[in-house]
Amino acid sequence: MPTVVLMDSSLSMTRPVSQEGSEEFQRKNLAVHGLTMLFEHMATNYKLEFTSLVAFSSLWELMVPFTRDYNTLQEALSNLEDYDKTCLESALHGVSNIVQQEWGSTCPCQVVLVTDGALGIGRGSLRHSLHTLKQRVEDKKFPLPFPFPAKMFIMCIANVEELQSTDAMDNLEQLIGLNGGEGQIFTMEGPLCLKSVQSMFGKLIDQAYTPFYAVLHCGNLASDVQVFPRPEPVLVDEEVDPIPKAVQTEVDEVGAGTTEDAEEEPSANQMAGKSPNFCVLLHGSLKVEGMVALVQLGPEWYGMLYSQADSKKKSNLMMSLFEPGPEPLPWLGKISQLGPISDAAENPYGEDDSKSPFPLQPKNKRSYAQNVTVWIKANGLQTDVQKILRNARKLPEKTQTFYKELNRLRKAALAFGFWELLKGVAELLERECTLLPDSAHPDAAFQLSHAAQQLKLASTGDSQYSAFNHNITPLHTDFSGGGAGDRM
Amino acid sequence: MKVTSSRFSHKTAFVVDHCPYMAESSRQMVECDMLTKSRGQGVIPLAPVSKSLWTCAVECSMEYCRILYDVYPTRKLVRSYVHYIVSDSEFHSLNSWRQEDQSTQELMAALASVGPPNPREDPECCSVLHGLVAAVESLCAITQYQHEARRTLMDVADRVANRGRIICLTNAKSDTHVRMLEDCVSETIQEQNKLAAGSDRLMPIQRCELVLVHIYPQGDDTLVSDRSRKELSSVLSSEVHSVRAGRHLASKLNILVQQHFDLASTTITNIPMKEEQHANTSANYDVELLHHRDAHLEFIKSAQPCFLCTGDLHMAGSTSRDSGLKETVTLKWCTPRTNNVELHYCTGAYRISPVDVNSRPSSCLTNFLLNGRSVLLEQPRKSGSKVISHMLSSHGGEIFLHVLNSTRSTLEDPPSISEGCGGRVTDYRITDFGEFMRENRLTPFSEGVLDASGRTSSERAKAQLERHTRYWPMIISQTTIFNMQAVVPLANLIVKESLSEEDVLTCQKTVFNLVDMERKNDPLPISTVGSRGKGPKRDEQYRIMWNELETLVKAHVGSSERHQRVLECISACRSKPPEEEERKKRGRKREDKEDKAEKNGKDADEKAWPDSERLKGPQEREKEEQTESEMIKDSPDSPEPLNKKPRLMSEEIQPPQKSKGPVSLLTMWTNRITATSRKHEVFAGRLNSVNNKAELYQHLKEDNGMDLHENGKATR
Repeated sequence: MPTVVLMDSSLSMTRPVSQEGSEEFQRKNLAVHGLTMLFEHMATNYKLEFTSLVAFSSLWELMVPFTRDYNTLQEALSNLEDYDKTCLESALHGVSNIVQQEWGSTCPCQVVLVTDGALGIGRGSLRHSLHTLKQRVEDKKFPLPFPFPAKMFIMCIANVEELQSTDAMDNLEQLIGLNGGEGQIFTMEGPLCLKSVQSMFGKLIDQAYTPFYAVLHCGNLASDVQVFPRPEPVLVDEEVDPIPKAVQTEVDEVGAGTTEDAEEEPSANQMAGKSPNFCVLLHGSLKVEGMVALVQLGPEWYGMLYSQADSKKKSNLMMSLFEPGPEPLPWLGKISQLGPISDAAENPYGEDDSKSPFPLQPKNKRSYAQNVTVWIKANGLQTDVQKILRNARKLPEKTQTFYKELNRLRKAALAFGFWELLKGVAELLERECTLLPDSAHPDAAFQLSHAAQQLKLASTGDSQYSAFNHNITPLHTDFSGGGAGDRM
Repeated sequence: MKVTSSRFSHKTAFVVDHCPYMAESSRQMVECDMLTKSRGQGVIPLAPVSKSLWTCAVECSMEYCRILYDVYPTRKLVRSYVHYIVSDSEFHSLNSWRQEDQSTQELMAALASVGPPNPREDPECCSVLHGLVAAVESLCAITQYQHEARRTLMDVADRVANRGRIICLTNAKSDTHVRMLEDCVSETIQEQNKLAAGSDRLMPIQRCELVLVHIYPQGDDTLVSDRSRKELSSVLSSEVHSVRAGRHLASKLNILVQQHFDLASTTITNIPMKEEQHANTSANYDVELLHHRDAHLEFIKSAQPCFLCTGDLHMAGSTSRDSGLKETVTLKWCTPRTNNVELHYCTGAYRISPVDVNSRPSSCLTNFLLNGRSVLLEQPRKSGSKVISHMLSSHGGEIFLHVLNSTRSTLEDPPSISEGCGGRVTDYRITDFGEFMRENRLTPFSEGVLDASGRTSSERAKAQLERHTRYWPMIISQTTIFNMQAVVPLANLIVKESLSEEDVLTCQKTVFNLVDMERKNDPLPISTVGSRGKGPKRDEQYRIMWNELETLVKAHVGSSERHQRVLECISACRSKPPEEEERKKRGRKREDKEDKAEKNGKDADEKAWPDSERLKGPQEREKEEQTESEMIKDSPDSPEPLNKKPRLMSEEIQPPQKSKGPVSLLTMWTNRITATSRKHEVFAGRLNSVNNKAELYQHLKEDNGMDLHENGKATR
């Protein structure tokens, strides 16, 4: 996930660190030293991640937009100038905007704030910002929590005692609190020196920038892999109290499916093959066959592997993580119920790959796929009545459709307790019967009066006639030629 | 932790008042005799019909359920259940928490059997209270999901929550009457929780949300006042909505279902549709859809103050025509280009439900999607570029709104896999692995199918993968047998968990066939790519092939006695018995002498070959010389030739053997050269050699083969 380094460039960062004998350091030098260490670590272990550098004092400036080029970041870092006082709120607004503009508001980010803990004075100071938190109007809200998922790491070029001697520590803790508790404050231990700054950034690296190594297994074939971006643990928040789920580092390939539904789900990660062969082989075959491989990341946590090509024809192996759960994609069903095709009586893909057992159809059709009756709006009801009348005038040709529509209306009216409608439609049919032209087929009159009578009976609520699953069937007449409408 | 309204949504109990007063007319008239106007004089139009309060309540609650079942047939892990209860002189439970009961058809059938309220029933005996009490009791009952969750979390069973919501549709007399209903629910919860605490079959209610909807006829003044949510106790909160029957009630329940289940609305605009009357003209229509609100995450967030978002986006706040005051996001239909498969980064897919499900525009859109087409949706902007932010598409009869990533992706510009480890290897068995994947494809089996050893379907799939990969060389030059058509029947069968007699026979036939090939001296597809010369000699090829075949079959020999028999067949038939290596060691001295004698006798000149020639392939040439003499001896019937030994041996043994006797200066020089050359050639090549066969001139292949891999144009 992308990182924004937010570097305090206020004058207080130039305060010298008291050191005996050796050359004199400013806090800024220590900060730069620590960040250099972070950048070097990322250049080696995190080279596919994006990082940007923002410097701030009373104003903020985007020194380096998001890049994978750590030399540029390093260079900008060493050329940082010193400015006036610290004003964190506007800088955080800046971070919020930079991230949203670049990645939108769904991409998780890490913010590394490097400061000496002197958080400004008067207006614009963090203390002032936090004091006025509750008096904000809608368009002057404090930038935290960020609109995107964010972790905030505060690197203090100061030790705890110093921060606790003022309210700086309290304020910083409050800041993390405002970010929903997502983040951590790091302080220096012992004297302020290169060694202690290294140890502090070392802790940050261990906490937030450890590379993710895993082993991809496919039966006895295996390959060591590194995954970018690092898959983060997921909180499963359901009727059961939240349980964090972490990706297991042993990745199991369950089997392969076809790519007819090749879409990237929640998050996609690049897998850089560290140890050779199997990943390259798998990638090559997935690409040629146009298939995806199902991968298990933990108990009831799955994802898929596939070949992805960019516009430059470079392709690599991608892993998409599904939401944890036994049935991440409804059209595949439960993953635990997927078995080898060799267990099936006949190949469900067909001998010539012309078929597929997927997608699975849901047990109940959705409302839009099953011709439901909704009369909330008057025109829904009017349309249904008109359909019946239209078919009534074309009897006996339309006997089938007439009774089908009639029964649909009957069922809905019974369910909604709308007996008045049944009586009304019965009257309409009786009237249609009297309006039949002389040329009309004799069967029409019989069917209309039969239908009207049946509706009337249903509207009495008599259980013999108003059963929901009962259908009105066409009347057997001498004219209907053996009951054309019997087969409903 | 933020408690979202959906945390109450696992259990929803509907209580609909079925007392005589609900039979009263809503006084909203529906004209259903529309055609008579055009039908001349003398036809008396039918009087308009009106729905009763009951009908209004039932159809709006069914609409609530319809949307719910469309959007949450499974709510991630948890299903949302509805328990529908009607109440008059007693309560009537129309369904249960069981999964099979959760469908609108089931509810419709049950409602039909209840029928409308009987206006002549004694109102004194009837009350909605019976239903409310039943609803509280049912919230204590354990659902299928809760049961399973408790079973799987044995040790932490108390972590399984029990929250629920009661939606009561009634016609209340007054605010005091409402208060009485609330008190009753509150007291019942206390009683039931006491009962549940001492029972395994019940769970105490942790939180309950009571939503009272007072329905009154059009034209009347309401006797009950609206009241927003209020905590009545630590367990119960309650809110009151006073709504006129008919369209107002419908939109109220539409808003409620959105609030209760974290839904949001999207209106697809500019849908081109043929006119019913004029088939050659088309007009543009709008269709409103409901779905989980996370599909709007990007909009919700950017609605925060942010001066970089220039307010260019035309969105939320616009009032949708259908649903009164609620907000909808408008997205523009992009007419799909034919057969243009565009893959977008999709960050989420959400089920949808049309607001106006059986209107013509809605059904046109949904049918279009159900037939397998997809529609990209564009954010309407006043100016600037076109931003595609969503896509509608169906999977297995369900329509999903897909959220597409419209900003920069952190996955951009990924490195090519060929830049990583193993990326420079060019002779991967891509086609074979493709075949392997097709054989290991998955298919759904019915729930609870376990095999003899109690494995689930997916466990069987993994077991099959394990078997199929016990011996699976990844590159072509590492294998002989998988390049041979003749081995296919055996290779396909031996990986099976169990073999039939017929399978064993097929395997044996394969072995006999190979013996036959060897007798006829058929060439083997041993890879000579990148190496000059002819590669190993014929008999050596067969030795390699038999060894490899044995390795494959040995990997499966533990599966069954029949697998064992296949191995025995190979051991018996192959040109070299597996004990070869052992015997070799024992007979090393003897063979060395033989070897020396042969060499000295046959070709004294050999040692005099120029060094350059020697470096190219001394072993190959040496073998070639031997071929003819060995050919006849090598048939299965003939006695084991004495001088047959792996190349490796001869190489290692040569120097000491040669240093034993008196040697010429030339021999010494040659030995020295060979020893030096081994430091390079043998060291590098042998490291990667398989079955003693080193692959030479790998760089040649690399240059030729890279393209093959990069473009994935491996030929089948």
